[in-house]
Amino acid sequence: MRVSFKLLEDFGINVNRLNTTQRLQLRRHRDSLNHQFLQTMISRSALGRNAQLALRRQCCAKPAPLNRRGLAAVSTGSTSFSYESADVGGIKVASRDVAGPTTSLAVVVKAGSRYQPLPGLTVGLEGFAFKNTHRRSALRITRESELLGGQLLAYHTRESLVLEAKFLREDLPYFTELLGEVISQTKYTDYEYHEEVEPLIKLSQQRLLADVSDLALNSAHGIAFHRGLGTPLYPTSSTPLSKYLNDETIHQFANTAYTKSNIAVVANGANQADLSKTVGEFFTGVKSSTIPVSSPASKYYGGEERIAHGSGNSLVLAFPGSSSFTAGGSYKPEISVLAALLGGKSSIKWTPGFSLLAKASSSFPGASATTTHFSYSDAGLLTIQFTGSAQAIRGASIEAVKSLKSIAEGSISKEDFTKAVALAKYRALEEGQSTDAGLVSTGAGLVHGGKPFQIDEVGKSVQGVTAEKLKSAAKALLEGKATVSAVGDLYVLPYAEELGLKI
Amino acid sequence: MSAPSLANAIIKRPWLTKMVKPIAAWYADAAGYRKLGLRADDLIPEESENVLLALKRLPQKEAYDRVFRLRRAFQCSLAHQLLPKEQQTKPEEVRARYDVFDKWNAKIHQDYSYLSPIIQQVEAEAKERDDWDAAVVQRK
Repeated sequence: MRVSFKLLEDFGINVNRLNTTQRLQLRRHRDSLNHQFLQTMISRSALGRNAQLALRRQCCAKPAPLNRRGLAAVSTGSTSFSYESADVGGIKVASRDVAGPTTSLAVVVKAGSRYQPLPGLTVGLEGFAFKNTHRRSALRITRESELLGGQLLAYHTRESLVLEAKFLREDLPYFTELLGEVISQTKYTDYEYHEEVEPLIKLSQQRLLADVSDLALNSAHGIAFHRGLGTPLYPTSSTPLSKYLNDETIHQFANTAYTKSNIAVVANGANQADLSKTVGEFFTGVKSSTIPVSSPASKYYGGEERIAHGSGNSLVLAFPGSSSFTAGGSYKPEISVLAALLGGKSSIKWTPGFSLLAKASSSFPGASATTTHFSYSDAGLLTIQFTGSAQAIRGASIEAVKSLKSIAEGSISKEDFTKAVALAKYRALEEGQSTDAGLVSTGAGLVHGGKPFQIDEVGKSVQGVTAEKLKSAAKALLEGKATVSAVGDLYVLPYAEELGLKI
Repeated sequence: MSAPSLANAIIKRPWLTKMVKPIAAWYADAAGYRKLGLRADDLIPEESENVLLALKRLPQKEAYDRVFRLRRAFQCSLAHQLLPKEQQTKPEEVRARYDVFDKWNAKIHQDYSYLSPIIQQVEAEAKERDDWDAAVVQRK
């Protein structure tokens, strides 16, 4: 088969096949003004393999040719941590021009497990990312990205499906084109589904079945939100996949999910003008939506579920939390302060730390507790998760509920409160600063009709939490219905009633 | 699968195609597999990685029909009999009248290539992989 390399050539790479020995020529050109190339022609027949490698390294070590932007040129990016957003032909585009030689570019799609019309479709769609398209094969996509030193990722959260590429700054057009092609021109063939996508889904099912903590968290989400956000992140082992999942259903879901209003293109380390230009150029194949992807508004229910499991124990106590910052109005910073105060894992070395749960569980060796606040576009879940031996979990969880009650009564020291606010602020800011979390939360914020993740505002709102607010938040949690999910040795693990929680 | 063939060279020349076609049709018929209800693609040797993979990629119904045809042909061969005329495979161009009404089984008695396009696809993939593996990158 003759592969046409015209496509690559358009985006700064020249790959030529010479007829006798198969060779690839790879070249980058930034603009038409610079035609002075540093040429290092390596003939395969003339040189041994090692000599070729050495030569290639040598040519890389030489000063960057005029047509390539060296590292120094790249530092034009500003150091601002806030995203600029724009609308390019109906597609939301946000970017943060952080100085540095690399870029992460992500297409955030409102197609997380919450929005899947049939179980497993999100995982299926994730599996089809970067597979054969109408223009090039999956193999070619991987090999080309490898040649450019790029990384391709696909993952999903409960709300978003993320297709991400990380690469050198000057390769932005190539990878924008690739992502645009993946979302609008993937073939969704049946044999790829059976040969590559399905086995991975089955493996992920088995992994989930063996992982008590994930089972407990999934179960807690299920009890707390029933449908929508309650849908498990990965299909559970008993989900009848063959009934719902095949290449056709995945293709249909892709047609509704990969539409203009349903995606956001977010970049870190790219110039907003460049990004808008390339998106405008390469995302033209994306259709406008006819049937919007939807999910019922989240409502908190609460309750208790107990699952017997042979390998490990996990207990999750969960309470209604706050929606994410990007959602706007329903964001409650005091919940994240509460999560920091309850804590569990120390953030510094050689000490259990100030957090209440760490203190509580230190007298129960073998149990570890973590408090996590999962925030979504219209709801949140504050979870306290215990793992370890069943006896220790039992003791630690009783202590944990006691300390939650002590917060509600307002009997925490001012010092602990200050530490908690500082930690919560640090965590919020760090999340915004780190590229991956920032990309996903900004993208999710944009596709859900909110605002991009603005790091300065988050810091301010966390700083503004008072001890009084925290107390009333804790009180509200204890008065409402709790969610309790126990996985493991059910003979020992406590019921919600025994912990003194209302369900 | 990839035995040397003049087919492409002949198809490129319409006048030659016109001349050779009747001979080819006669030859295919004289080969006798159609009288056992087989298709030309049923005769492709299975013992190669590419063909095995292509067989796995067949749609369920095609795979079932293939096994049915093979078993029927074995049975005929053992019994030293040919199939009754209406069950024999017809050349691709000839469509039986009842085929038009029976959409599901429209091409069931026809000698069309149901497997070779998939084999070609598998071979093309293998070829592309080889090409990339042998590629030498040159930075200009």
